[in-house]
Amino acid sequence: MARNAAFAAIAIAALIAVPFVAPHAEYALDVLFLIFLYGAMATAWNLVGGFAGQVSFGHAAFLGIGAYATAIMTQNGISLWISVPVSALLAGAYSLVIGIPAFRLRGPYFSIATIGIGEATRLIARNWSSLTGGVSGLTLSSAPPLLLQYFAALALLVAAVGLAAWIRASRFGYALAAVRQDTDAAETLGVATTVAKTQALFLSACILGVAGSVYALHYLFVSPDSVFGFSTSIALVIMPIIGGLGTVTGPLIGAVIYTFIREQLAATLANVDLLAFGVLLIAIVVFEPRGILGIADRIRRMRKPPAVTVPDG
Amino acid sequence: MADPILEGRGLTKRFGGLIAVDGVDIAIERGEICGLIGPNGAGKSTLFRLISGVMRPTAGTVTFNGRPITGRSAHDICVAGVAVTHQIVRPFRDMSVVENVMVGAFFGHRPRPRGRGGARAAAMEELEVCGLADRAESPARSLTLGGHKRLEIARALATRPKVLLLDEVLAGLNPTETDRTLDLVRTVRERGTTIVMVEHNLRAVRGVCSRIVVLVEGRKIVEGDPDAVLTDERVVSAYLGTAAHA
Ligand SMILES: Nc1ncnc2c1ncn2[C@@H]1O[C@H](COP(=O)(O)OP(=O)(O)OP(=O)(O)O)[C@@H](O)[C@H]1O
Ligand SMILES: [Mg+2]
Repeated sequence: MARNAAFAAIAIAALIAVPFVAPHAEYALDVLFLIFLYGAMATAWNLVGGFAGQVSFGHAAFLGIGAYATAIMTQNGISLWISVPVSALLAGAYSLVIGIPAFRLRGPYFSIATIGIGEATRLIARNWSSLTGGVSGLTLSSAPPLLLQYFAALALLVAAVGLAAWIRASRFGYALAAVRQDTDAAETLGVATTVAKTQALFLSACILGVAGSVYALHYLFVSPDSVFGFSTSIALVIMPIIGGLGTVTGPLIGAVIYTFIREQLAATLANVDLLAFGVLLIAIVVFEPRGILGIADRIRRMRKPPAVTVPDG
Repeated sequence: MADPILEGRGLTKRFGGLIAVDGVDIAIERGEICGLIGPNGAGKSTLFRLISGVMRPTAGTVTFNGRPITGRSAHDICVAGVAVTHQIVRPFRDMSVVENVMVGAFFGHRPRPRGRGGARAAAMEELEVCGLADRAESPARSLTLGGHKRLEIARALATRPKVLLLDEVLAGLNPTETDRTLDLVRTVRERGTTIVMVEHNLRAVRGVCSRIVVLVEGRKIVEGDPDAVLTDERVVSAYLGTAAHA
């Protein structure tokens, strides 16, 4: 635990130093920015999909609400100090509206419902033109300096991973783990399972709401098919699975791999990145469902002599 | 019985055309060990589910400590002080043995231990009582059936119940394990926990229970003193009847 904290502190310090050491490496800074942003989003998704085992295919809805809320408020001259927290809370409020009915469903039924919710939200954004600008989306005029964006995304990532680490070791984390492993057994041990799931979804949605703000201010353009797109929801599922579902750092590792594959492959050949994700996902599901962290764990075990197993007393 | 700690009245559960529990009146006395017996499919586990809030009764009421708890959620009822074990064990498979028990300690009846350290200490106490302390750090899925049954009990005890419903915790145990578990049941009773146990091992029931309720095809047919109940003609024929079918 202390070692993890020390490692995290060193990593954060290094990432803070990067823009000062290499101020002109704009491409590298841009890639790091994307990793921070995707890492935060994947970590947030993992609170619900990994920790609580409630796999959502509709999480783009929260990103989109944050992005649109910030875009609209910024167009109306509202300060970021207000628009960013409001974006988070709007995404959080939306999660309560959809989570309360959706969590009446279990397992795959919940997942299927989230597909519908995500798509319905995108269609609302397309059709509510007076507010959202419809299919053509909304454009912003000026972005905050890249350095500020870099630090904002880094702060969001640190907050998300820190929250995940804290939750995992907390009473709340035990509730979520119990929900994931056996919801009915958790109920009979006093866990208010629906409340726990709803709280996890709320926190997850708030983080995605802020990620939406960062997204809108970076790209200066939001449209229903970008922020509310199904492919965004899928990306949020893929990253934690690649890195290690239900772990603290897995989603971040997944985000690093996801960003590299997208940046490198998408530029060379259209859609080859999708092929790569497909192959990677199948390989993980077949060979090591615990993702990259699971593979790392296997390597560590191979090096160490096997632990002595005591027979059951 | 003047002041039962737990009382069910007219409890009924229908599954489509099947009436699994049929108008059962049951009163549990504070501090007793009450046996609940009956042939397979008699509705014993279903009755436990109705009491513990896992299922809603089709009709009837449950009262705990004089307050109605009918239709309340399972977690509410656990927090109120009624815990249940699962006939088919349901461990949290990715957790260690002690973590399984910590869930009960964290979320059960108040007052709850403080923080993770407190929950762990409380869980270790129950593992000690249940003879699982040496397996605390093992993955729950590595336990034998006997270990799993004791884990069910330890987890339920960690919720600090006033009433503990044990569903066939002896099934599948060897004689040594059976004796250990019966000792455990007596110890728990001496701590002041009221116990209702569903059991097919009638010798064990006779040894530990102060009273027995018999369920056949969803209905309560007899209740009372173990020796009287177990020699009752209706009980004998109900058991022989199922033995003949089997
Ligand atoms: N969820 C359910 N849906 C439909 N029928 C059910 C359900 N649960 C139980 N039953 C039926 O209700 C009846 C009573 O079942 P129950 O499990 O309560 O019996 P039991 O007395 O615990 O039996 P056993 O001694 O075998 O554990 C059985 O006929 C069973 O098939
Ligand atoms: Mg049963």
